Amino acid sequence: MTDGATAPISLPAFTETGAHSAELKGQALALRGLTKAFDGRTVVDHVTLDVPAGSFFGLVGPNGAGKTTTLSMVTGLLRPDSGRVFVAGVDVWADPATAKARMGVLPDGLRLFERLSGSELLNYLGRLRGLPSEVVAQRAEELLGVLDLSDAGTKLVADYSTGMRKKVTLAAALLHTPPVLLLDEPLEAVDPVSARVIRTVLTRYTSGGGTVIFSSHVMALVEELCSHVAVMAAGRIVASGDTASVRGDARSLDDAFIHLVGASDAGSGGLEWLGSSQV
Amino acid sequence: MVGLFASLKWRLVTSRLRATKGANRAWTVVGMVVAVALLLFAAFGMAMLRQAPDAAPLVVTGVYVVQLLGWALMPLVAFGIDETVDPQRFALLPLSTRTLQRGMLVTSLVGYLPVANVIVMVGAVIGVSIPWWTLPIALAAAALQLLTCVVLSRALSTAMSSLMSSRRGRDLGVLVGFGLIVVYMGLSSVLNNNAGIAEGAGTVARILAWTPPGALATLPHRVATEQYGTAAAGLLIAVVFFLLVWWWWGQSLHRRLTSITSATSSSSPASASGLTSGVSATSVAATAQLVGRRDLLLSWRDPMRRLPWLIVALFGVGWPFLVFREQIGDIPTSYAVVLAAALAGAQGANCYGVEGSGLWLHVVAYGDRVRARGEVLGHAMAALVPGAAIVAVSLVVVTAIRGGWEALPAAAGMCLAALGGSCALAAYTSARIPYAMPQSRTSMFASSVPGQKGRTAIATLSVLVGGIVAAVPAGVCAVLAITADPVWGWVALLVGVLTGAGLLVGLTRSAGRHYLEHSPEILAVVSAGDRA
Repeated sequence: MTDGATAPISLPAFTETGAHSAELKGQALALRGLTKAFDGRTVVDHVTLDVPAGSFFGLVGPNGAGKTTTLSMVTGLLRPDSGRVFVAGVDVWADPATAKARMGVLPDGLRLFERLSGSELLNYLGRLRGLPSEVVAQRAEELLGVLDLSDAGTKLVADYSTGMRKKVTLAAALLHTPPVLLLDEPLEAVDPVSARVIRTVLTRYTSGGGTVIFSSHVMALVEELCSHVAVMAAGRIVASGDTASVRGDARSLDDAFIHLVGASDAGSGGLEWLGSSQV
Repeated sequence: MVGLFASLKWRLVTSRLRATKGANRAWTVVGMVVAVALLLFAAFGMAMLRQAPDAAPLVVTGVYVVQLLGWALMPLVAFGIDETVDPQRFALLPLSTRTLQRGMLVTSLVGYLPVANVIVMVGAVIGVSIPWWTLPIALAAAALQLLTCVVLSRALSTAMSSLMSSRRGRDLGVLVGFGLIVVYMGLSSVLNNNAGIAEGAGTVARILAWTPPGALATLPHRVATEQYGTAAAGLLIAVVFFLLVWWWWGQSLHRRLTSITSATSSSSPASASGLTSGVSATSVAATAQLVGRRDLLLSWRDPMRRLPWLIVALFGVGWPFLVFREQIGDIPTSYAVVLAAALAGAQGANCYGVEGSGLWLHVVAYGDRVRARGEVLGHAMAALVPGAAIVAVSLVVVTAIRGGWEALPAAAGMCLAALGGSCALAAYTSARIPYAMPQSRTSMFASSVPGQKGRTAIATLSVLVGGIVAAVPAGVCAVLAITADPVWGWVALLVGVLTGAGLLVGLTRSAGRHYLEHSPEILAVVSAGDRA
């Protein structure tokens, strides 16, 4: 597996894209006043955010903060009520055809085509994106190898474990060498071995010039991996910037996060009975 | 503890009603009132059996046997409809197997289905209590019958729950369901053909009277006619059967709670397919070919997609002979294949809903009109290609057996119009009225999810009605071919091809446009199938 992780792979050559305005120059992702409400409850509230190209960007926040909703609107899976999304300089909702070619997506909790094998899934999706058959076949084989899925390539996705599903989805997201990767909880419920493989591939991808934007609520992971971070709470961005500046004087990003989302008192008080051996 | 189980089940039963509001709740209540009225009517019919004392034990024997079989098969085809069925949910609670078994028996007796059974059984009890003094015996026998049903159902579902938790097990359930449909069609055909049906049924009922449910059904009659030896033997059969099933259930429960199953134990390499090479989606035709080939592969691999095709094939050849038992006037038997053609075209219905939330893979892959249209056409092709093959084979087989080769062009015309028309409408409604389909496959009959039943009904009806309406112009020509001049048969073929193709081109274009503009909304609707 370690050998596989260091094998050569054609990770994306980052292509410079013409930005719509000087303001978007150098931004892999730009959100402007992005808003979404469900049944009158605002889940994402006028979010404005810039993600520099080539960064490893962590979007963190407690459950229900609006991370998945934001990423769904960025990837074209959920229509925003208002606001604009630019991926690699392209307005996602005005020019979806171009925007979708420039991003790779790994959503959380959505199904795959369960009755296809991993290899069939990658070959199908690559060709659906218009890539030539031989190119897809070669990339799919390499990606399956690097992601330690070679043996499972012929198995149906329906029989995959959570880690295998995340890895094959990541492979599908990388197939067309997009400049921007959008990953929703890529390491959630993944075993340590698969997590290490995914992290290695993502680090190689950013060192090749690509931008990774991923959501998580595991602070230690974000602090270790990310060059930049944005903290989201109750549908708003409460802090963003490079990881060191968001952490500030706090001992860790975890402490800074707890302070930012105002949850320091939770978990204390009551429960005096807990720990008693008496029934 | 038993009371706690009963209250848990009561909450589960009533929670859906509590969750609905306004008009929906009103309709649910109206539906329940109608159901109760129908059940009371059925019970009344059973009670009226008193008027035919000779037939009453025979009929109730049949009813009890069917009832037991129904309860036994329910977990196989509808595993998961009842949250209290799966013993694994109670595995971590500190309960003995004996307590759990008693508790689960009580939960099984609380619910719509047991109440419906009780209503009809009360009618049956009145029907067989001839004379009236046998009523207590009939009541006790009915109570034992209901308990046997419930315990057998539970025992089977417990024994199978590890199987049904895996993909292969659920696939097996779907195949068994198909087998039942085939057996039903065969039986109804045989019984309808048999002139002495009443006599045959009587013989069957007399044999069934020695099965546990049959023995319970005939117990009052045997006591009333002083056949005490037979009655005692029958009762012994029923009681021993009940005790054996109860013991089996306890054993399965114990095993189930003390061993774990692996969800991926059934994984094995997928058979080789042509999906790893071929065209890339650079044009409408290439996208259609790519998507169509994937759909066909999935139809072959996924029993939930394969089952409807088996039914269509069965209908294509079997249906014309069922309807046209005898030649009706001059109408050729092959004309009846048109129903199979409409059904085949309808297999393209809800093509986005079939994917569930897996549709996201298509939504993020492209955002242009060419591929959106190609995708719609691909889904349509996956229905048209096997549909056309089934229709062609059916037409040839039916005509070869019944004759009427001269009617073949007209029949083919109607079939092509119905196939193309329903397939075009299927594509159109897929984009306009998408609905979620349950993706977890816990029941082979579940075709919609709560809250979307209206959408499902409208979409399904418009496809079937549309397919039949599309065949009308060709049908008119086909009628003229019989009444006026056979040359109209060829006109029917031409009209059929033009109607089918025209509708396909027009409606798939519109569907592709709508899908492209509303893919996030369609995804939101069909993703609900994941949670069902």
